[in-house]
Order: sequence, then structure tokens, then C-alpha cells
Amino acid sequence: MNKIASEFEKKEIGSIFIYTHEAHPGENYPHLTSMEQKFQHAKALREIYGVTRPILIDSLDGACHRYFGSMPNMTWIINRSGIPVYKSDWSDSHSVKNALEYFLEIPDRRKAGERLAPFHVERLDYRNQERELFYKSLERNGQKAIEEFRKAFPSG
Amino acid sequence: MPDQTITDLYNYDEFVPEKFERWMRFDDSPPVGKPVLDFPLWNLDQTSTSLKTEINRYTYTIVEFGSFT
Repeated sequence: MNKIASEFEKKEIGSIFIYTHEAHPGENYPHLTSMEQKFQHAKALREIYGVTRPILIDSLDGACHRYFGSMPNMTWIINRSGIPVYKSDWSDSHSVKNALEYFLEIPDRRKAGERLAPFHVERLDYRNQERELFYKSLERNGQKAIEEFRKAFPSG
Repeated sequence: MPDQTITDLYNYDEFVPEKFERWMRFDDSPPVGKPVLDFPLWNLDQTSTSLKTEINRYTYTIVEFGSFT
């Protein structure tokens, strides 16, 4: 997602990462109990994952995250008027890029004389599960995170 | 002031279905095409901002939610 952010920044597309809560609390990154801890986790995340986008912190009760459906790693695209034009329950850079390219064509299509009106579409996209990276991130959180995930999803 | 019960439930201490499944609520999330509410957010240096302030900077803004996992 960092690459997408960088690629589209020159096209008037912003990108932010909102730090939420620990989906898999472990010994190293346990569940959150204070805003101070939340800032520490978010700073560590920036360093460890090399997040180049602005990282913003939600409130401790996750008000913003909960409003948007509180999925562990989801992506929305919101226009300047505060209207979401894309929502995805998991983050996938291919899907996001595809959507952005579509939206960026709209002004040119209008200039070319097309009379465009919004409509709703549902689509089933496919994401790379990146299992190795996921297990590595569980390991980083601690053995507790690995054991709890295996117990919740024995075939995972 | 955040509700302490919500805060504790949201920041669950173990990944077990009875604690995490309640938060998988994408079906209840706002629809596309309708304005969303604004929320306070904070930068890493602890200065305050808001969702609308951030999305007002660009034609479109990619908003990714996440944590270590």
C-alpha cells in the first residue's frame, strides 16, 4: 500500500493509515489500555513495517474504526466531500489501484462529453493472503498471538 | 470520555471468537455514496486532527485501517 500511495500522490490522491487496536494481542504488543501505549505501538509499527504514509491514531475506544465496521485491515477511498466511493473489508493494493484508476478517468470522460451518473456495484475481489508475512507478524506480537490464532482457526 | 466498557471490549485481551467476532461488522458499515461522520484522530506527535481534515486535503484519500496484525 505504501507503493500505491507514492504512485498516486502526484495525481491528487492522499493516503493515511489509521492505527486501530491489536487484533492479535501478544506478549510483545498486548491489548491496549491507554492512549500513551497506543501511540507507542503506532510508532513501533511505523518503524518495523516502514509505513511511509501518515499514521493517525484513533481514540482508545476505536470510535472511528467501529463506525467503519471495525475489520482488522480494511481500506476505504473517500472523496474530498467526505463521501466514500470504495470500501473493502480487506486491504489489497491491486484492488485499490484498480479502483483509483477508474475514478481518475472520470474527469477526462466528462470532458470528452460523456454524461456520467453514479451507481452502485458489488464485486468479489481476490487478495493475496501473504500467509508467511501474517505468521511473521503474529510471531512479532508473541507466542500467545500464535497459539490463540491456531486455536481459533485450526486449519488456518 | 470514552465508555469504559466499550473501550475494554474493543481492546480485547485475547483472540478468541467470543471477543473478536463481535467487531467483524463490515455489513453494518456506512454505505458508499453517503457522507460519513467526522471523528477526532491524532498524529504520531500527539497533535490532534480529524478524519474530515485529512480527507479534505486531496481529491480522494485512501484510508487504510490496521495494526501489527
